[in-house]
Amino acid sequence: MDIVSLIVPLIEITAAGAIINASVHFVPVGGAPAAMATSTGVGTGTTQLAAGAGFTGLMGAAAMAASVGLSPTGIALILLSGAVSSMIMLGVTMLIGQLIYVFGIGVVPAADKCEIDPITKDPQKPYVTPGTTGHGVPTVCFVSGLIGAALGGLGGALAYIALRKLGLDAGIAGMLAVGFFFINAVLASYNIGGTIEGFHDPKFKKMPNGVIASTVASLVFGIISILMVLSV
Amino acid sequence: MDTTLIALGALALSGALATVAGCAEDLESDVGSQSNPNSQVQLAPQMGNIHRYFNKAISGEPVSYGLYVAVAGAVAYAIMQMGLNPILALILGAGVAALVHGAYAISAYLGRIVGQSKNFGQPVYWDIVMSHIGPIVGHGFIAVFCMVLMAYLANTILGNPFPLPLIALIFGITVGAIGSSTGDVHYGAEREYQKYPFGGGVPVANHGDIDIKAEYGLRNGMDSSYFCARLGGVLTGICFGLIVFLDGWRGILGNILGGSNEGSIITASIISIVIGLIIVAVLTIANRKVEVFARNKFGPYTK
Repeated sequence: MDIVSLIVPLIEITAAGAIINASVHFVPVGGAPAAMATSTGVGTGTTQLAAGAGFTGLMGAAAMAASVGLSPTGIALILLSGAVSSMIMLGVTMLIGQLIYVFGIGVVPAADKCEIDPITKDPQKPYVTPGTTGHGVPTVCFVSGLIGAALGGLGGALAYIALRKLGLDAGIAGMLAVGFFFINAVLASYNIGGTIEGFHDPKFKKMPNGVIASTVASLVFGIISILMVLSV
Repeated sequence: MDTTLIALGALALSGALATVAGCAEDLESDVGSQSNPNSQVQLAPQMGNIHRYFNKAISGEPVSYGLYVAVAGAVAYAIMQMGLNPILALILGAGVAALVHGAYAISAYLGRIVGQSKNFGQPVYWDIVMSHIGPIVGHGFIAVFCMVLMAYLANTILGNPFPLPLIALIFGITVGAIGSSTGDVHYGAEREYQKYPFGGGVPVANHGDIDIKAEYGLRNGMDSSYFCARLGGVLTGICFGLIVFLDGWRGILGNILGGSNEGSIITASIISIVIGLIIVAVLTIANRKVEVFARNKFGPYTK
């Protein structure tokens, strides 16, 4: 293998890690409190939800890669397919979660981190149950989640493409991509520290720290992957 | 037979299996009290609420279901390599996963409850272990078998290039993420706190003050799954089924509209991506409609 065909995947893997880390910050997760309608967002952990969406994107990307190949047009289609698959997964999950919040628990979707929804301009605070930090998935969180899912699917697909370019077969590349996604999602989760509502949450400003951490971790991951390929 | 027709049939079957798997997964987590609402069951004895819930947060649901389905997939894969009938291999794989599930469930219950016995007086109810372990493993078996069969269909008919155990792992993680995001909210925010008025989130001050009485007698995990089967379980199933179906359907529709011969594969792929974006737009509009409905119907909090 020549040096260019090793450096390009290394750069792609590093960029993919940074994108995945950034994506997790967009996903509105309320953690355990959201499962009791005590905080806004989807009622599960950041890593778990981002991984669920990212892996759906990875499957979409892998299926697309198997049919279109790794030409420049093919790569663009794989990235887009990964993003769209992730968006469908998270979109359906947020919508169904919303139905349970509204019809099963009887709460109004309301964000706690903004007075007015920046997209719909609806006031939020009067609809928040006293003693809680919001509940449900208001429009701003939903849109933020879709952006996060798109980035997550794109990042997972980019990592998969880079690993395939290194000459790994689909199964090994898939396994490494799953591990790689978890590394970056967990780093983002540490950076968030519990719950986040989306891009309007003050915690979102911490994103650059997480992206830097993921860039370093992904670079190390990329180097190890290249060493693995070279040693086979 | 036409390959598109076979793919469409496999996809429809996958969607149906996903619906059953999602529903069974959520009800299993309600019987066994896993995932985020389990924090309240864990907290209850410390707040003076001695309960008869099963308590088994083995790990987050995505990780534990990833483990079970990957075990089933790996065992099935190994048996298939020995030349056995695939369906039999999948059943045996799901059976081994059920044993793993049962072992984790019992050790998690005993570990968690015994940890609270000395300081908070929470007894270990052996009848709860014996009566709940059947429904836990049974629901888990249904969920795992459906997913490992979906993974087999994805691998053999729907063109997924990943090996069976990896697809199984990914499906397990995805169903866990969905189950803990959707159905568990019904269990955590409504069923555990039914004594508080309907129509509000649970304030932090009330955390741990869960209902310990059922419609009749003392409440246990099976009462919760009976309640959650009416909304949370069903919607979780629909959620997973929709994801699997819509994501596969856009690809098949792209092949039909764009033509599935060699030259038009790019056109078909572009069409599938556009259809995916239309689906996402429809979901966004639906979410907004539900939000507006709730705002108009329930209104702001007045006190």
